[in-house]
Amino acid sequence: MIFDEPRYLLAGDRYLLIEFGNELNLDMNFKALGLAREIEQNKVKGLLETVPSFATLLLHYEPELIKPEALISLCRELLDQLGSVEDMEIPSRLIELPVAYDDRWSRECIEAYCRTIKKIEHNPDLVARINGLKSVTELIRYHSAPQWWVGAVGFLAGLPTLMSLDPRYFLTAPKYDPPRLWTPVGTVGLGGAFTAIYPMVTPDGYQILGRTPVPIYDPQQRLEPFKDSFFLLRTGDRVKFLPISEAEFMEIEREVEARAYRYNIIDYEIFSVRRYKEFYRQAKREVVETPVPQMGRAEMIEAGEEVRARQQVIEMKKKLKAKAIEAEDRSKKSRDIGHQLGG
Amino acid sequence: MREGTLFKILESGLETSVQDYPGRIGYWAWGVPPSGPMDSFSFRLGNLIVGNEEGAAGLEIQFIGPQIEFLDDTVLAICGADNGPRLNGELIPLWTAVRVETGDVLSFEFAKVGSRSYIAIAGGIDVPPVMGSRATFAKAQIGGYQGRPLKKGDILRTFKPRVPLDKLSGRKLSPDFIPQFSHRWEVEIMLGPHEDWLTPADIEQFLSTQWRVSSKSNRIGYRLEGPEFQFSDKAHRKPPENGSHPSNIMDYGYPIGSVSLCGQTPIILLLDGPSLGGYITPLTVISGSLWKVGQSRPGDLLQFKQVSLEQAIKIQEDLARKIFNSLIQEAPGA
Repeated sequence: MIFDEPRYLLAGDRYLLIEFGNELNLDMNFKALGLAREIEQNKVKGLLETVPSFATLLLHYEPELIKPEALISLCRELLDQLGSVEDMEIPSRLIELPVAYDDRWSRECIEAYCRTIKKIEHNPDLVARINGLKSVTELIRYHSAPQWWVGAVGFLAGLPTLMSLDPRYFLTAPKYDPPRLWTPVGTVGLGGAFTAIYPMVTPDGYQILGRTPVPIYDPQQRLEPFKDSFFLLRTGDRVKFLPISEAEFMEIEREVEARAYRYNIIDYEIFSVRRYKEFYRQAKREVVETPVPQMGRAEMIEAGEEVRARQQVIEMKKKLKAKAIEAEDRSKKSRDIGHQLGG
Repeated sequence: MREGTLFKILESGLETSVQDYPGRIGYWAWGVPPSGPMDSFSFRLGNLIVGNEEGAAGLEIQFIGPQIEFLDDTVLAICGADNGPRLNGELIPLWTAVRVETGDVLSFEFAKVGSRSYIAIAGGIDVPPVMGSRATFAKAQIGGYQGRPLKKGDILRTFKPRVPLDKLSGRKLSPDFIPQFSHRWEVEIMLGPHEDWLTPADIEQFLSTQWRVSSKSNRIGYRLEGPEFQFSDKAHRKPPENGSHPSNIMDYGYPIGSVSLCGQTPIILLLDGPSLGGYITPLTVISGSLWKVGQSRPGDLLQFKQVSLEQAIKIQEDLARKIFNSLIQEAPGA
């Protein structure tokens, strides 16, 4: 649910955690983002930084300079000014990232896991199968069709967590158990309903779909988009993946090395929550009107078992939902910071 | 003409890194942690003794110290855990300005109590700041010396000392103000943000338990060993996107010092930790007490003491006051 009133939770003497609700709903992400921007524009004395996430906003402040009560009443005021989520217009950049799907580097990483940890299904095959897609080619089309929303950045430096903005292209995947010990830089992974892009070599457990040759983290600030930031993506950006071949991957890699690669970033667009919701409702209707197990349903109707066919559809949908939830659970488990502590 | 001091790492020790205080602030929204000294109290005291600003870059040593040759004259102070510092083989005192001549070699024995010691050098270490800080964050290969802990053969330099070296002699900490280290630590903590995900009995038990520091503890986080939790109704009944285990919640920004529950294991999230995660944090160690966690070592016992926000602010203020009142200077030759 989305809370009528956000909850303001003290976390020690330097942090305030604002909870907008307890479910996965982009509305709260929009709110967290909107409030973060407003409060930063206010240049509040004593406020050090903000961390927007899916349903929360974390504030880091100095209690010597601003009391939490004052911070809370300021947040209430700013939220009032923001008004309803529908009215929000969020400046949102659209960034195109080339991805070599099912590439040789991803395959090497998956094969290394099979050799050293345990045998698992080839990741793109598994993701295609679980989501009822006919082939890896169809999976690539599905993953590169929608715009992906950057809902949060972090865990690791510069790592974005992305959600599909288009309900017609909804993918879900279980996570590795146990997690892998390394993932190549630039890997594009899917875990639960989220896509992640890895800014550096790291252990993790998302299913590997492909790899981008384009850096999303540049601590030396060598490349153009990093002139003012060390990170390519920030919360509220949108990403579109562009499928490329391995040959193109290597060509782009060379361009990056020579600092000649031009990022495709469109930074004049405004994301209207109202218009997005209209789009979402329309797109969602298409999904609902297309029953999931089409073949089975048609056969049963022919046999005159309309009622059973409907039940079957409901059952299948329930199963799919359960699967998605199960995948989500597993994604919790392997993003275990305990893993970083060595066990 | 060179104005700072050069020094060379002859042996690296277990994990010797450049740190500054308060570290890298302002990048948590991108997942970059503050880093900085795990015991910032001792670290800041060291800087004041050698005439630096309290946040100037120095070295953090863990358990096994490095061996360092000084290529210029300087003044340094060793603070934190007593790891038997020696200059050319002779024991030198902690919490005291020590004059070092060109060619002198600093070495260490092992700390028996506490886990981290600091070397403050007049002028502070000159490495390029990254994202506004010189603190080492090895995981992302940024800050410090080439983004990593020090290795044999590295040569570092300091800035020009703020206070002439001669004026530093005789400076030390008043004995009354020297932090006391032990194998048992009382650590002040506040309830929240997710205290209502535990039962009152869970909280009661958490506060009355002497938690053992696990060997799987480092700058990312400290794992604690102790009894199990029941979790409240709120943790057991929640929308599925929060995960199935009672300790799971939708990913959110982690407060530094918060005690996350990874299943049944409490982990205090520290200075090199993750910025986002999906585990509840029912309690948070206050900023003025984090230095004690940073000094505790595997096997030590932590006893948590609940305080209010007002008390937490006062503890932090007292710490700052102590730091500024603790310095004494003995007359030369005294």
